[in-house]
Amino acid sequence: MKQSQNDTINRINTAFEKTTLPTLTWTTNDYDNHYAWQQLEKPSDLHEVAKLLKDLDARLCTITAYTEDRSLEAKRQSIAYHFSIDSILLTVTTPIYDAETLEPLEIPSITSYFRNADWNEREFMEMYNIKIKDHPNPKRLFLDESIDAGIMTKLIPFSSMVHGTGSTNLWEQVMLEKMGYVPERYKQIEEPKFTKVEETAAQPKSQAKE
Amino acid sequence: METLQENTKSFSLPLGPIHVALEEPMYFKLELEGERVKHVDITSGHVHRGMELLATKRNFFQNVVLTERVCSLCSNSHPLTYCLALENLAGIKVSLRAQYLRVLAEEIKRTASHLFNVAIMAHIIGYKSLFMHVMEVREIMQDVKETIYGNRMDLAANCIGGVKYSVNLELIDFIDHSINRLEKHVDEIIKIYRSDKMILTRTQNVGVISADDVKKYGLVGPVARGSGVETDTRKDAPYLIYDKLDFDIITEQGGDVHSRAMVRLREVMESIKLIRQIIKNLPEEGELSTTLPHIPAGEAMARSEAPRGELFYYVRTDGTDMPLRLKWRVPSYMNWDALEVMMKNCAVADVSLIVNSIDPCVSCTER
Repeated sequence: MKQSQNDTINRINTAFEKTTLPTLTWTTNDYDNHYAWQQLEKPSDLHEVAKLLKDLDARLCTITAYTEDRSLEAKRQSIAYHFSIDSILLTVTTPIYDAETLEPLEIPSITSYFRNADWNEREFMEMYNIKIKDHPNPKRLFLDESIDAGIMTKLIPFSSMVHGTGSTNLWEQVMLEKMGYVPERYKQIEEPKFTKVEETAAQPKSQAKE
Repeated sequence: METLQENTKSFSLPLGPIHVALEEPMYFKLELEGERVKHVDITSGHVHRGMELLATKRNFFQNVVLTERVCSLCSNSHPLTYCLALENLAGIKVSLRAQYLRVLAEEIKRTASHLFNVAIMAHIIGYKSLFMHVMEVREIMQDVKETIYGNRMDLAANCIGGVKYSVNLELIDFIDHSINRLEKHVDEIIKIYRSDKMILTRTQNVGVISADDVKKYGLVGPVARGSGVETDTRKDAPYLIYDKLDFDIITEQGGDVHSRAMVRLREVMESIKLIRQIIKNLPEEGELSTTLPHIPAGEAMARSEAPRGELFYYVRTDGTDMPLRLKWRVPSYMNWDALEVMMKNCAVADVSLIVNSIDPCVSCTER
């Protein structure tokens, strides 16, 4: 292991030992890259971690929200915050639900510590329908307002997904569920018509010209 | 009367979503005062495809194919970093020969990607002959890609545990001949970009971002290095064989459109240096890839230096053959957000030039 990498690991460990936060676990790979992992118990600890990491001159790489299992209910959600400190990648994970009641917990924004958390937080707000407290700019990032938040937690059968590419059926179904009716403007697309060859041939020439 | 005059001075201008700099959609709402941009409001999501959700519906091998298709310019970095993450998770060892071949594919892609971006810069400022020239020089690397991988953009070079291609002596000779040709041309192109009056007038002190703002916004790649911030994943956290190779981190101090273009052009020379070392030292022996591995339950991260900067992958598995969650974050994600800093007080005519200077990859960012 390189000396500079060793120093960074010591610096991170020392900083975390001074707090009451859960201890870090370390993993490594074939190329001698080191990874630190921390599992928080509740999202309210995020403030303390974010402040600590800011002082360590960390850079926020990205944030991953995910559901912990494949169940359709998707009530057990967690968020993993990935930071880079020199050569080290550090991931802080927090569940965002109450362990007993499964009710969602309040999540603080870390945008005040890391400016680039802005887009990341907005993205999981719309993809996973997660509510963030005190986000400075909580508008939609990628998805249009007409699409319900939490699209990443929904089951969309493959057949419906590909159906949407070839016809308006999927869209009509969405509108039907959302508004109870299909607005006229979405109905106006003409269905393809088939004209038999003999019918076209039967037309007199003068008529065809018109 | 005075209020009326004030009002006519400031107005808002919608720009995009079609054809701002590239053929990828992005929409800007510019608040102007006369010719100057005072505020930028970015709307994105036009090509959001829900690829991260798709990834959880496919098995690990199908996802190699899916990640190759996130975007064409980074179509090698995505599957590579995805495979690195899975290899970290499952403890798969990649042979030295396969590691060399992976880096070869990465650097060949980097040369072509960087040349493409600086060519578009010439196109935007109206220097059409230079644009045509740089694109023609880039064709040398496009031919290399087509010859080795059978494709000009999607190389399909990576698989979990190794690579899907190999090079023989004849191909190595061809690569050597091609990079020698390329080197001569790029050397000349660098001189043009350094000294041409038209380029300097249009690109220097335009779209400036300071090193402090680079750190604040967490910027990466040539955008960060153009502002003098020494960051390169290949050096910061070396992966594959990068710590065995000799190359430099290229930085420029201006923080403007010109500096970012110069970083890219000089990095082409570094990539040529790397390719030369790879073809010289490529081990003759070694498995190209491992046998079909089992991916256990767990989580892992990996990152690599894509042409636009640090590419990050996070994978979470539950012991089945499909990922529970696959997340990737591309360099353009932060670089794009920082456009509001670069465009502050710029002229309307420079907006597309500044957008191009971050080498934006919209299909990557929105996934």
